[in-house]
Parts: sequence; structure tokens; C-alpha cells
Amino acid sequence: MIPGKYRSVSGRAANNVNCGLHLVIQPSSLPEKNKVEFKLNRDTPSFPGRLLQHDLERNYSSRQGDHINLVNSSMPSFPILQHSSEEKSLYSDRLTLERQKLTVCPIIDGEEHLRLLNFQHNFITRIQNISNLQRLIFLDLYDNQIEEISGLSTLRSLRVLLLGKNRIKKISNLENLINLDVLDLHGNQITKIENVNHLCDLRVLNLARNLLSHVDNLTGLDSLTELNLRHNQIAFVRDVDHLPSLQRLFLSFNNISSFDSVSCLADSTSLSDITFDGNPIAQESWYKHTVLQNMTQLRQLDMRRITEEERRMASVVAKKEEEKKRESQKQSLLKEKKRLTINNVARHWDLQQRVANNATNQDRKDSASPPQDPCQTEGSTISPFPEDTGAVDSGLTSALQSLSVIDTHLVEVDGDTLSLYGSGALESLDRNWSVQTAGMITTVSFTFIEFDEIVQVLPKLKIKLPNSLHLKFKETNLAMLQQFNALAQLRRIDQLTVDPQGNPVVNFTLWKYYVLFRLSHFSMQKINGTEVTQNDMIMAERLFGILAHVASSELPQYHLISILGDARKKQFRYLLETKGKKPGIVNEENNDSKRLVGENTNRATLNYTTREFYNEKLEDIKEKKKFCKMYIEDLVKEATEINMKNEALQKLWPQMFIELVRDAVIETRNKNSYMKLCLQQITDQK
Amino acid sequence: MLSPERLAQPDYEYLAQRHVLTYMEDAVYQLLENREDISQYGIARFFMDYFNSVCQGTHILFREFSFIQATPHNRASFLRAFWRCFRTVGKNGDLLTMREYHCLLQLLCPDFPLELTQKAARIVLMDDAMDCLMSFSDFLFAFQIQFYYSEFLDSVAAIYQDLLSGKNPNTVIVPTSSSGQYRQRPALGEAGVPEGVEASLFYQCLENLCDRHKYSCPPLALVKEILNGVQRLTFYGFLGTLSKHPGINQALGALPDKADLMQDPAMDEELERLLAQVPGLVPAVTATPELGCPPSRTPPRVGSPWRPLHHPRKVDTESDGSTEETDESET
Repeated sequence: MIPGKYRSVSGRAANNVNCGLHLVIQPSSLPEKNKVEFKLNRDTPSFPGRLLQHDLERNYSSRQGDHINLVNSSMPSFPILQHSSEEKSLYSDRLTLERQKLTVCPIIDGEEHLRLLNFQHNFITRIQNISNLQRLIFLDLYDNQIEEISGLSTLRSLRVLLLGKNRIKKISNLENLINLDVLDLHGNQITKIENVNHLCDLRVLNLARNLLSHVDNLTGLDSLTELNLRHNQIAFVRDVDHLPSLQRLFLSFNNISSFDSVSCLADSTSLSDITFDGNPIAQESWYKHTVLQNMTQLRQLDMRRITEEERRMASVVAKKEEEKKRESQKQSLLKEKKRLTINNVARHWDLQQRVANNATNQDRKDSASPPQDPCQTEGSTISPFPEDTGAVDSGLTSALQSLSVIDTHLVEVDGDTLSLYGSGALESLDRNWSVQTAGMITTVSFTFIEFDEIVQVLPKLKIKLPNSLHLKFKETNLAMLQQFNALAQLRRIDQLTVDPQGNPVVNFTLWKYYVLFRLSHFSMQKINGTEVTQNDMIMAERLFGILAHVASSELPQYHLISILGDARKKQFRYLLETKGKKPGIVNEENNDSKRLVGENTNRATLNYTTREFYNEKLEDIKEKKKFCKMYIEDLVKEATEINMKNEALQKLWPQMFIELVRDAVIETRNKNSYMKLCLQQITDQK
Repeated sequence: MLSPERLAQPDYEYLAQRHVLTYMEDAVYQLLENREDISQYGIARFFMDYFNSVCQGTHILFREFSFIQATPHNRASFLRAFWRCFRTVGKNGDLLTMREYHCLLQLLCPDFPLELTQKAARIVLMDDAMDCLMSFSDFLFAFQIQFYYSEFLDSVAAIYQDLLSGKNPNTVIVPTSSSGQYRQRPALGEAGVPEGVEASLFYQCLENLCDRHKYSCPPLALVKEILNGVQRLTFYGFLGTLSKHPGINQALGALPDKADLMQDPAMDEELERLLAQVPGLVPAVTATPELGCPPSRTPPRVGSPWRPLHHPRKVDTESDGSTEETDESET
């Protein structure tokens, strides 16, 4: 029992009271100067400024509590509160019990007209004993230990409910509080927004510093103007577009990483103020302009006004992004088409190779090599085909069928590289090439084309693409060393790349040296990516130099000429003669003329004719040889006839001679009669 | 020249035996092919050139296979040409696959058939692991007998198959050998039967073959020598021994003996001359070779050219002199 005046209620009261259950406090009159400036507006609850929790804290912590006395009640558990009657009349509508070390809500008797109740900074664990205060408008239970919202079902007039900094895990039992204007649940352990859909007068909802991971279930809050969700773990937001009055939304320090997670915000017409700072999304480069583009109704972002300039920039950037996306889409479409075409070409190539293999397997009577396909029949090559490629291309078959037959080859020009896929692509060299494009091309890549077909096109390549210095071959069926001879007719090659895939020639030990040897006049720099060294050149010469020598100097003249053709033979003859005269000395003239000719001519006889041409030539040869054979046969017949006659003559001549002599002797035995006979013959002749 | 035996032979037979007609026909064919050019410098000179090249063995270069195969002289010339051109490959010590040798053959004859090369490879590899690498000399000698005696070898193969299956192709046989045949048949049916055929029987069949047929056969004395040494033999065993026998080589006369296979002083000189002309190479490194120097002279060191080709080549941008050191440190 503490009579008398109090200067500081809180402190004294704290000293004098036992923070337990047996507390008796008696109120005394309040001095004038300690009058509290607290106003409770009964009509429209419009609070000054922005009603944030820390403002409320400030309001209340500076305030001094009522002079109250808690009286020991008859009930052992709850203290009973009794106001002095004076106070009742003065401040009959508010009661402050902050920092009273209360662990339970005391029973408050005779205060049915109470409008404001303040239990801040206590240790209350349950809301109880206030059911009778049915006129209560303002209930402050900030900073207690409340674990569950309960005991409020009779407080139908309640407009402000402050339950910040408690231990509430779930929003519940608010069904009857339909007049609620401000609901403050910050600093609790709430994981889900629920049971608030009936609060159609609610203007401020504070759920900061809780454990929310997502925001939804906000329907029905038609008056909600401000929603504070700072310091949660929110990853996505929904239903905000169903809040017709929402103006301010604070999402700072959450877990939002993409604008899609908060896409409903774009549909909200009322939002003017939003914060995203402290979210992963705020670190992205596209953050600001994406937000501004999608939420044109915004006035402030992250507590800063949005200027016109910013908006303009945002729309410009957004347009650029859109274009970029469209471009990349186009690019990827093109790439896809290219890939499909190349796959198509590859399939045709495989089919071709299979056919060729089957044909050669049939030709060879060698029974040692087993046939490659079990179903090996002469013309039916289609049957083995789907089995092998079905698994791989099953997804593509439908797409490929839609590709027309034209798409069996692909020509691609990419800066300095011309890529040709499929034999049909070779026709592109017939096209008119602009001088600029043709001049830029330094690399030509051939894929899925038979090398023999490429050989036929090389002269065109020489003319049309004069700067092509690097040739690449992949899946071109390069199988023989002599095929490289065909490359000698080009103007120049700096680099040669022969991909092992589809080119069996790469498996040979000597192929690089042969290339270097045959194409030595090009002074190649790289083969398959590795630099050509002086030693390589020497080795090449050492290996094949004699071949060149034999091929040039030992070939009979007529053969040389027939191989080389008119244009070169004169030069060749000249060179051979000079070379023959001065062996072993590096001849200046020789070098000059060599450079003029452009090729080391002792190799010039090493040519390559494609199989078709060669077979044609062989046919030709057969014809001619037949003729020659006939001609020689005639000659032989003649000769043998003559020989026979000669031999016959040899045999018969002695006999004939003897007869001649005998006849003559017989005739001239009688000189006189012989003389008469001769005279007679002469006169007869006349 | 005017021996009675020669005169006794009818004309056609004489001509055919010496393949005179083949060369005449070919000469006329060449004339036909190049008549414009040849007419410029005279037909007589052409014929001189032609038959000179036939004598030297250069007439078969880059010719079609049917011509190369036509006469034994052509075949021998081709073998010799192949040896001369690619001796350097063998000297370098590379081991190549059958396909690669075939490529080299095709460099000289574009339509050379693969079967012949395959058969030659089988002789070397004893019909086993056809992708194996072969040395130049092994391949060359096997190829020699395969190519030069191809018809003979085909017949021998047929005979061998017959003998293996128990049939005896000889209809006229001495009674003793028929009893040998009967003894052979049950022997074949046993498990663990020795491979191949009996040498003496085989020899008799070969003897008959050589008598009957006109195409060239290896000297029977040599064959007898080989077959006398063994009791039984397999087909490829026989061929392998045949190919390695130096007597065959000498009988053919196309290739030098195995010991001298890598030697060809004239060509080596020519090679040095060519190497001197490789662009960028300092001429002073190679001294002008003199005629008559001993054939065992090693080629002058130009940098370190004899790197083993099996190892991946390292990019060598240093000057020639320093590569010698690196070469030694590598080995």
C-alpha cells in the first residue's frame, strides 16, 4: 500500500511492487504536469504521419504510465486492477500498465468504458481477462511473450491491435475484430498469412520480422493501404493485385530474386511506393528498369522518387533488351535450322557410304571379309538404314521430313570462312560472288562431300576465291595419298586441315610428308594445326625425292608430254635440259624459272585423276589398244607371209638355180642352132 | 642367232614367247596417243626412246595395270621401279600398314588392284592380323613373288586346298605316292593333326604344274631345296620361305639382295642434290658429292632428320645446329 503522490510512477511502482501475483497497487491522483498528451480519436482513426511500428514505440515509451495500483484479488492467480474514481473520471478511457513486470493480464474491474489499454514491455504470455472491456479501441501488447492470439473475441470495437515483438506463431482468432484498422504483428514467428480476409477495414498490416516465405491469401483486405513485409524470407508474392487500396508495400530484406515472383505487382493499379532493397533482385543489372517498366504506376522505389528521366531510360533499356531477345531468338532459330540441315546432309552421306561399301563388298570375291550388313542385298540399301539411325534421329525424323529435298546441302559464309556441307553445296561456286565477299574468304571447309567431286571443282575455286589459303576436309573420303596430287593445281595453300573423321588417309604414317613433298611449292605453314618445320620439309624430300626424280627425268619423253599437256611441256623441257646440264649447283636461273613456273616441276607428273575419269580413260585405252592390236596383227601377218615366202624361196632357190643353169646349158649346147634360134626370136619380136 | 632351235619355232610362237608383239602394240598405241607431238621430232626417235625405256625398265611408270602385268619383264621393271622410288621409306625405318603400301603402289600405278597387295601382306603376316605393320624389305620380297608369279601362286593355292581336303589333283601318279595319299586321309581326321600338307607330295604337284603351264614359275631347283628341308608345310609358310630365299631374288634379277636393299649410290647422290635445293636450306651444309665415293657413306647431317616418326613431332623452331642436342637428349 503506497499512499501519497508519485513523481515517477513507473519507477516507484516497480520498486514497491512485487512482480508476482500478489500485487496491490492503488491509484492516486495524478499531478497536473504529468498529464499525458495522448489523444484517442473516436471517429476516424487517422494517425499522424506514417504509422510505423517504431513511431508507435516512440509514442508509447515516452509516455508515462498511468498511476495504477494493482490490488490483490480474491482469486489467487490474477491481480485485480482498481482505478481511483478521480482518475476514472479524468482519464477514464485509457489505462497504461507498461513495464509492470506483469506475467499475466490482470483482471480489470469496473472499466468497461476503457478505450485504450497498454501492456507494453511486460512478460505476459496469454491475452486474458479483457473480455469485459468491450469498448476497447486500442490494445497494445508490444514486447511481451504472447504465443497465441486469443481472448479477443469480444472486443468488437477494437481498431488498433499492437502485438509486435511477441512469440506468436499463427494469425488466428481475429474473426470478430471486423473494425480493425491497424494490425501490428511485427517481430513474431508467423509463417503464413491467414485468417485476415474478413478485415475489410484494415489499413495497415505490419508483418515485418516474421518467418513468412511467401505472400498470398490477401483477399478481402479492401482497405489495406500499407503492407509491411520487411525482413522476412519471402520468395514470391501473390494476390497483391487483389488489394484495391494498397499504396505502400515494403518488401525490403527478403528473398525475391526475379520479377516473375512478384509479377502480380504489375497488375496493381494503386501501388505507388515499393521497396525491394536487400533482396537478391536488387543486385541484378536489370533490376531498376524492369521494375520501372512493369510498374508504371510507381512513384517511389526504395524510398526514392522516380524521375521522368529514370522512366525514360528504363523504357529505352527495356526496348533494347526486347530487341536483343528477338535477335537471339532469330539466331537460335537459324542455328537450329543449320543443325538440322547438317544432320540431313550427314545422313545422306552415311547412306552413300553404306551403299558404296556394300557395292565394294559384293565386288570382292574374298570370302574372308564378312559382309557388314546382315541384310545385304543388291539394291535394297534403305532397310539397314533406319535401324542404325532410328535411335539417334527419332526426334528429328519428323522435322527432317518437313525439310524439303533442297536442304541436302548447306553453304555458309562466316566472315573469312566458307563452309560447304553436302555435294550440292559445290554448285555455289558457280554463283556470282561479289569481289568483296570473295576476297575476304581465306578458309574453305568441305564436309560430307566426296573428295573426287571436290577435285573437279578446284579450278573454279582457284578463280573465284583467289585468297583461299586454308583448306579443311572432313568426311570427304580422302583415302589415298595420290589424291593430294590434285591439290597441286591450286594457286596457293598455306594451311591444310584433314580431319581424321571420315578421312582414312590420316591413319597413314607418311601422309603429312607426302603432302609436304607434293605441295612443296606452296611452302605450307601448317598441317592439321601443327607448324611445318624445316625438318619436316627435309624429311619429306628425303622420303620422296627419288620418286620425283624418277617421275621426271626417267620418264620417256613422249610419256612426259602426254601427262603434262601442251602448256607446260615447253617449260618443262627447258627446265629439264638446264637441270641436266648443271647438277648439284644451286642455279640462280633455275630458281627464278622455278618460281615463274610456280611449281617444282619434277613433281608435275604426279597427277591424280578421279576414279570415274580414270575408268573412262581405261575404256578409251581399250578401244585404242584393240585397234593397235589389229594393226600389228596385220603387220605381223604381212611380215610372216613375207618371211614364209622368203624361207620358201631359200628352200626352193637352189633347185631353181640348178634348173636355170641346166636349161641354159642344154640350150647352148649346139652353138649354131642356138644362134639361129636367137636370131629367129629377134625377128619375131619385131 | 641362227640356231636351228630358234628357226624351228613357228613365227607366232616365237613372237609370243618373247612378248615382242606386246611391245610393238604398245609402241603403236603410244604413237597413236601422242601423234601430234611425236610427229614433231620424228617417229624414228620415238621408237628409239620407247625401246630404250623398255630396256631400262621405265616404260611401266604411271601405266595402267593391265600393261604392267602383261609381260614378266614389265613386272620385273615395276618391282625395280617400286624399289628405287621407295627405298628411302624403307631406309627411314618406317613400318607401314598394308593399305599404306598399297597407296605407294598406286602412286606408280593408279589402278593397281588391292587384292594383290592383300595377298602379299598375307604372305608376310602369315595370314594373321591383317592390320599389322610390315617392314619395307619384308613387304617388298613378299610382293615380289606375289606379283611376279601371281598365276603360279594362284594355282599353287588351288593345289594346296585340294591337298588339304584330301583330293589329289594329279591324275597321273606313281603308285607309291597314292599309298601316301591314303595314309594321309585318316591322318587328317585325327585331332591334333599336323598342319599343312606333306612336302614331298606337294613338290610333285608343283613339278607337274611347272611342266604343264607356260607362265613363269620359280626355278624348280629352288622349290625342291625348300621342300626338302621340311616334312610338312603350310601354304603361307611355304610362300614365306620362298619369298625370303635369296635364290628367287637372283633368279628374278629385279631387286638387289636383302643385305644391299637399302643401297643405291646413284640415287643417293641424286637425293643429295635435290635436298640441296630445298628452299631455305643453307647450301654450304651439303658438300657436292663426288662420283665414286664408297656406297656406305652416310648422308651429311642436316639438322637431325632421322627422328623416329612414331613419336609425335615437336614443333622445332630453333636453328638446325641446336636440334642435334635436343635430339640426343630425347633419345
